[in-house]
Amino acid sequence: MKYKSRFSKYITILVLVFFYLPMIVMTVNSFNNSKYGITWKGFTFQWYIDMFNNPKILFTLLNSLIIGITSMVAAMVLGTLSAFCIHYYKSKLQFINNNLILIQLGVPDILMGMSLLLFFISIHIKLGLLTIFIAHVTFCISYVTMVVLGRLQNFDFAIIEAAKDLGATWPIIIRKIILPLLSPGIVAGGLLAFTLSIDDFVITFFVTGPGSTTLPVYIYSMMKHGSPTIVNAISVFILIATFILVYFSQKLTNSKKTQ
Amino acid sequence: MRSDSNKNKFTEFVLTSPTLFWLIFFFLIPTIIAVIMALRPSNPYGDLEPGWTLINFETIFSPLYIPVIWRTIWVSFASTFACLLFSIPVGYYMSRLSEKNRKIILFLIIVPFWTNSLIRIFAWKLILNPDGIIQAIFVFFGIIPESGSLIYSTGTVLLVTIYSYLPFAILPIYAAAERFDFRLIEAARDLGATRWHAFIYIFLPNISKGLMAATAMVLIPCLGSYVIPDLVGGTSSQMIGNLIANQAFVARNIPMAAAWSTLLMAMILLPLVIILCSKILLKKENC
Amino acid sequence: MPKFLTFENISKSFGKQQVVNDVSFSVAKGEVFSLLGPSGCGKTTLLRICAGLEEPDTGKVFLDGKDITNLSPNERQVNTVFQNYALFPHMTVRDNIAFGPKIAGWNRKKIISEANSFMDLTQMTEHKNKYPHQLSGGQRQRVAIARALINRPLVLLLDEPLAALDLKLRQRMLVELDTIHDQIGTTFLFVTHDQGEAMSISDKIAVMNKGIIEQIGSPPQIYESPNTSFVAAFIGDTNFFEGTVSEVTNSEISRIQPSDFSEITVYNDKHLSIGTQVYLSIRPEKINISKTLPLTDKSYINTFKGIVDDVIYLGSMTKFWVKTQDYKLSIIKQHSSFLLDEEPIRWNDEVWISWNPEHGYLLDHYAEIDENLLTLPS
Repeated sequence: MKYKSRFSKYITILVLVFFYLPMIVMTVNSFNNSKYGITWKGFTFQWYIDMFNNPKILFTLLNSLIIGITSMVAAMVLGTLSAFCIHYYKSKLQFINNNLILIQLGVPDILMGMSLLLFFISIHIKLGLLTIFIAHVTFCISYVTMVVLGRLQNFDFAIIEAAKDLGATWPIIIRKIILPLLSPGIVAGGLLAFTLSIDDFVITFFVTGPGSTTLPVYIYSMMKHGSPTIVNAISVFILIATFILVYFSQKLTNSKKTQ
Repeated sequence: MRSDSNKNKFTEFVLTSPTLFWLIFFFLIPTIIAVIMALRPSNPYGDLEPGWTLINFETIFSPLYIPVIWRTIWVSFASTFACLLFSIPVGYYMSRLSEKNRKIILFLIIVPFWTNSLIRIFAWKLILNPDGIIQAIFVFFGIIPESGSLIYSTGTVLLVTIYSYLPFAILPIYAAAERFDFRLIEAARDLGATRWHAFIYIFLPNISKGLMAATAMVLIPCLGSYVIPDLVGGTSSQMIGNLIANQAFVARNIPMAAAWSTLLMAMILLPLVIILCSKILLKKENC
Repeated sequence: MPKFLTFENISKSFGKQQVVNDVSFSVAKGEVFSLLGPSGCGKTTLLRICAGLEEPDTGKVFLDGKDITNLSPNERQVNTVFQNYALFPHMTVRDNIAFGPKIAGWNRKKIISEANSFMDLTQMTEHKNKYPHQLSGGQRQRVAIARALINRPLVLLLDEPLAALDLKLRQRMLVELDTIHDQIGTTFLFVTHDQGEAMSISDKIAVMNKGIIEQIGSPPQIYESPNTSFVAAFIGDTNFFEGTVSEVTNSEISRIQPSDFSEITVYNDKHLSIGTQVYLSIRPEKINISKTLPLTDKSYINTFKGIVDDVIYLGSMTKFWVKTQDYKLSIIKQHSSFLLDEEPIRWNDEVWISWNPEHGYLLDHYAEIDENLLTLPS
């Protein structure tokens, strides 16, 4: 007997419509030759042209990318190390380590941003790319750790003993056994860290300084003070770029699976 | 013999310390500093004065701010409740689909949320704009008056919050529903239970872990909302997050900002503690 | 026999648990030597100490004259076949097998030819490009064996290699292991809790219990002449009588008086004196059972009357449990002639059971035996 309740089916459809409606409207409106309204005033690419002519957008995008890549690398290293330690050494130290990471995952952005701001003020560090980098690495570590830990659950440590038994020393074990088997997890964690970093607004907002504005922070300021048409265009642009990226990354992971 | 275990402990310490020290230094210590700063008085410029005081906490609980605290609490709980309400049928439906369809729906739900949250909130700003079509429809059907506004109200905040956090509620519930053995429902029906009865007394209790995860994933970020009330909420719908940012950047009163942060920390610890206790109680029941 | 692999006074404890307690023994070159015992007896720990994966608290290990106690696993000329095979999941069969030689830096041609010959030996050539998750249990085990043997270890360690396989496959793999040993001639040190496995493949068995070796000997020695009650009970089935020596008839024959049983004639090769507390072990297949009183002119044959309490027909033999004077003895009768020609012995029949004292075995030491090791019906 199948329990496909029609009620839940309709709710699901309703929810999906709810999810996509704003974005569809926004996309349509980005081509609308009207300053504010939803009344259609003709098709135009003007807003996109304005967007590309804005040098600040490129500058902030660059900042976002720099922070994104550096935070990703740092988080990958620190996160993988801690995931390995938590799984391999099951000691009191790791209990503290594990719980610290879990707590950090639960803390809302605004508290993290505020605490870091107060911290940087109290030790007199100038706010800028460095402080943003530190903040991003801090919240990304936990995500990378969780992803790599997930991979480690299926890791049979007996194969490390087998490698030792067959003559391998630790450098060889790391290079030929541990890293190849963990790399999908490390890469997935890294991508997650990169995405979180690029998208982050609140934490960055609290610890950013002059000249180190990232793209989300810039978009926010435009939303509050600038012309909504350019914001509309930027938004749709990012939307489409994201969809394309996700599509290609899915293709990549699927092709790796069939290899 | 060789001190094998000592060598092991040393290696463990060396490998663990980078991350551990990073988190202690850039997470734990800043949190403690925030609480300490909340206990310091401020001068008219907003800087810290030496000494200890409770004045910041007194100000927080003054009649001026109580509505904000209350609003933060009720909006968060209402959003959580609404999210659960909608995510349970969705999770249930998804878990009953075939493998292929399941992946498609999952994809459809997750992908929009790969985009920046600011953008998604902005989309709502557009739709709910006074010149927008939704306003036109509502006015036409007499739901709101001509001069009314769909935006910059607490209702808007509630709507956009639900919109933003719904996927975070759907995913854990879907994960729990997927592991649920639906033959239990068949057994319940066989024993005479109605569909509704089976749903409440058999299905829900068995996905309790998913329900708790969904609650945590919505409630806690909601309490710390800043962007949503800021962009679509207006001055009448401020939440604690707005006050923190306000005190930090506009009023430039560091101790007050720290005090609000501390309050938020306490509010968040409370549900966490409740969830922890309920987990322990559940375990004791099962024993 | 020259001592090829020697364990000297090895002790190891984990926390408060003494797992190996002052164990010493030697393995000869080319031997198949088994460590046999129930789980927790320390056999796997000894194996891991030999491999270098654990360090003993005290004692030394010698291999071919050299002290290897302080060498790390990758420095020893010893290789292990792990219990769950521990194959590298991200490498093919061929790369798994070639792993050791590659690290040792062999010349490329040699690696290829050796890998091929070991894949042939274990019949894995057609699977050489497959990954471990694509192989069956038996196939994985063969890869694990090839991966270990290709390095020409001085000793091959096998940690319960057949435990993860089902019964029929286990029997087949035992034969294969035996064949491989005959072909290559490497010394095998085998760890198992299954006495059937140990007995069928080993040249020598060390029976272990709670961290000590109870007895070392060839399979027949262990079976027929157990030194301790543990060995007697752990290996095969047996019946136990406890009593005191009541009479010493001559240099070979004595009589013992068990509690709640008539006097039994025993073969007293240990020359125990009157009054010594002894334990008699008599195996089920050594006891005769018949419905008629056995005719014999030898008065020293032990003969008792009993009632059949349980019968299990196993085709080539029948297992009986006979109640006699408050004892329940287990007896095995082989059917060497066409069964239907005889009058069958059935449940509740009155029977005569008898045995020659020479077939019993006296132990002067009786340790408390774990109930689970005995296979008598409750």
